[in-house]
Amino acid sequence: MFEKDQAHILHADLDSFFASVEQRDNPALRGRPVIVGGGVVLAASYEAKAYGVYTPMSGRQARKVCPQAIVVEPRFSAYVEASKAVFEVFEHTTPMVEGLSIDEAFLDVGGLRRVSGTPTEIAVRLRDQVRKEVGLPITVGVARTKFLAKVASAVAKPDGLLVVPPEEEIAFLHPLPVERLWGVGPITAAKLHNAGVFSVGEVAALPSKWLASLLGPAAGHHLHALAHNRDPRPVHVGRRRRSIGSQRAFGRVPKTAQDLEAIVVGLVDRISRRLRGGHRVGRTVVLRLRFDDFSRATRSQTLTTATANTETILQTARELLSDVMPLIEERGITLVGVAIANLDDDCAVQLALPFDKHHRTELDLAIDDLRTRFGNKAVTRAVLLKSDDSWEFPLLPDPGPTDTDR
Amino acid sequence: MKIRGERDDLADIFSRANRAVAARSALPVLQGLLCEASGGVLTVTGTDLEVTVTTSGPVEVMEEGRAVVPGRLLAESVRKMPPGVVTMSVGGGDAEIQGKGPRFTLRTLTLDDFPNLDMSPVDGVEVDGEELVNGLNQVVVASSSDSARPILTGVLFEPSDEGLRLVATDSYRLSVRDLPGMGSIGSGLVPARGLRELARTIGGPKVQAGMASREAVFSSDRGSLRLRLIEGSFPKYRSLLPESYPAQVLMEKEALLEALGRVTLVAEDHIPVRLKIGNGGVEVNVTRQDVGGEVEHLDAEFVGPEEILIAFNPRYLSDGVSVIAGDKVRIRMIDSLKASVLDDGGDGGFLYLLMPVRI
Repeated sequence: MFEKDQAHILHADLDSFFASVEQRDNPALRGRPVIVGGGVVLAASYEAKAYGVYTPMSGRQARKVCPQAIVVEPRFSAYVEASKAVFEVFEHTTPMVEGLSIDEAFLDVGGLRRVSGTPTEIAVRLRDQVRKEVGLPITVGVARTKFLAKVASAVAKPDGLLVVPPEEEIAFLHPLPVERLWGVGPITAAKLHNAGVFSVGEVAALPSKWLASLLGPAAGHHLHALAHNRDPRPVHVGRRRRSIGSQRAFGRVPKTAQDLEAIVVGLVDRISRRLRGGHRVGRTVVLRLRFDDFSRATRSQTLTTATANTETILQTARELLSDVMPLIEERGITLVGVAIANLDDDCAVQLALPFDKHHRTELDLAIDDLRTRFGNKAVTRAVLLKSDDSWEFPLLPDPGPTDTDR
Repeated sequence: MKIRGERDDLADIFSRANRAVAARSALPVLQGLLCEASGGVLTVTGTDLEVTVTTSGPVEVMEEGRAVVPGRLLAESVRKMPPGVVTMSVGGGDAEIQGKGPRFTLRTLTLDDFPNLDMSPVDGVEVDGEELVNGLNQVVVASSSDSARPILTGVLFEPSDEGLRLVATDSYRLSVRDLPGMGSIGSGLVPARGLRELARTIGGPKVQAGMASREAVFSSDRGSLRLRLIEGSFPKYRSLLPESYPAQVLMEKEALLEALGRVTLVAEDHIPVRLKIGNGGVEVNVTRQDVGGEVEHLDAEFVGPEEILIAFNPRYLSDGVSVIAGDKVRIRMIDSLKASVLDDGGDGGFLYLLMPVRI
């Protein structure tokens, strides 16, 4: 496979995605600093980033560093739609697409030379198509490994293209600061800096054992491999979620049992709709908690049959919550999350006798339909009327069933 | 209180009453058995407030009295005594269980905390105990254990033209049993958990059964079982029973059960078993990603317009097949998405309605 010897993995990353969509849809915003989200900055245009605005930054601070910025409310449905359109371009480029989030993906274009041209030609065409068909700027990094492709796109931003040919990999990689290595956050970076290690090249020069003693065996081994440009991860097509969840963090404001229950209701509403949207069902309901002292706990319950029914999941989540209430009262709570694990495609679903079909499945479907047509706020629950909806976030399109999963 | 009796007699009285005691309970006193000795009889009551079992038997009463003693410890300590006479005496907050050699001292629970249960007798009818237990065993398999939907954890007792009709469903399957001549027991929604205990607690050749306003009461010469009725209305099930079926298949019950036993080696119960049913018989097939599969062929008599491919939860299917009386199983079907009906192929007064798994 001589083609494996050349850069064949693309990392495609939309630039300032939410802000770019706003600029695309409103010409008055083009060329000006745009901030999406009033409370916390969800996205900033490159014009705003030039003033020092970053995400996540508080809205107040952002207005201080960039008073002339135009702040717009997020329009999540527009972003989801734009994301879908971009992923369609990806899918047309190659069948080997691994979505990472709403605005980035890896594409493996090895083996397409005869059909579509060299990886560089494909990357140029991909950027062009996204610009023409969806109206958004996208940056593409091309390399032999996922890690290098991702670093390349980060270096090439905004609206750029960077190809790292195999013979230039080390020269590209080694001068980079250690923070560029996948898995190096502020804490690991500080440890390395303290040890006098600042560049990837310096990491590469260190023995693996030395790194392991500084950072722990797993992290040490991992960084050693990356610094030596070893990243064997292939592009996974249609990697399916093993669980679907949502969580909400809040300050150390005392929360009553009613407050918590309302939050759980909101979370279950959201994730059960996502399950149904992705044609998935799950058997295990997981309740995640974070306490005042940042310790965490999870409680879970496995149902007899997999379900995507809001009421069934909610019932179980409520039981889990009420069981753990004494612990919450004792230790204080700062985060609640609900997840559904043990997922299956809903292609094998135990059907229920029709006596309460009207109360369950059909109600769910009717509400889903209303929300899709008229927005998430078209129908809500009485307990959620007073709650703020600043935590509403876009529903990521779940990848549908693919042949490789079956 | 002080009594003396044969180990086996005492062990039987305590352990049957202890079947009503829940493993965990919010009220500590409910872990205990209420023991009452008077007039040459020991009466023992255990309850979780939903299921109450009272057992009794003749013993030598040396001193009358009442006490609440931790149920599991009491039943087990008597059972593990050497054979022969066992003495139980209560005083000063302790119950002393003395056998030939060993002596247990168990802290008693507060007598006043024990709930005041309504033990008034109920006008019941005398029925054949074995027939009642067999009928109940056929329907309880379909009941739910999901406390979130209490109505589905019960068995509906409903007088009908046939006598007494018992119905249970967990919303995926529904079983119906008609018991001739028992209609006068009355109607109510009775907890399946308690009904499962009927045979082992007070079952016998003759059982009196009746309904009080809030309880179903069963009694025999071995004691009584009182079950608090579940409130709420049972799903309207009659319209769910199909009137006609375009296809049906008749096969050996044991052969199907054995096949399902092999299927469950491979499949956990949420992996459906697929049945391809046609003129050649039944092909049973299960496949599980990452594990493998199993396939086999069963002889069967099929009547129907065309081959049917239908899938079921293997546990639900074998639950239904195993409670069918007789040697044959008949499955009547409409299509692969509608409920199938299992019975013995004749008119055994029992049927098991089962929803398929959509594949």
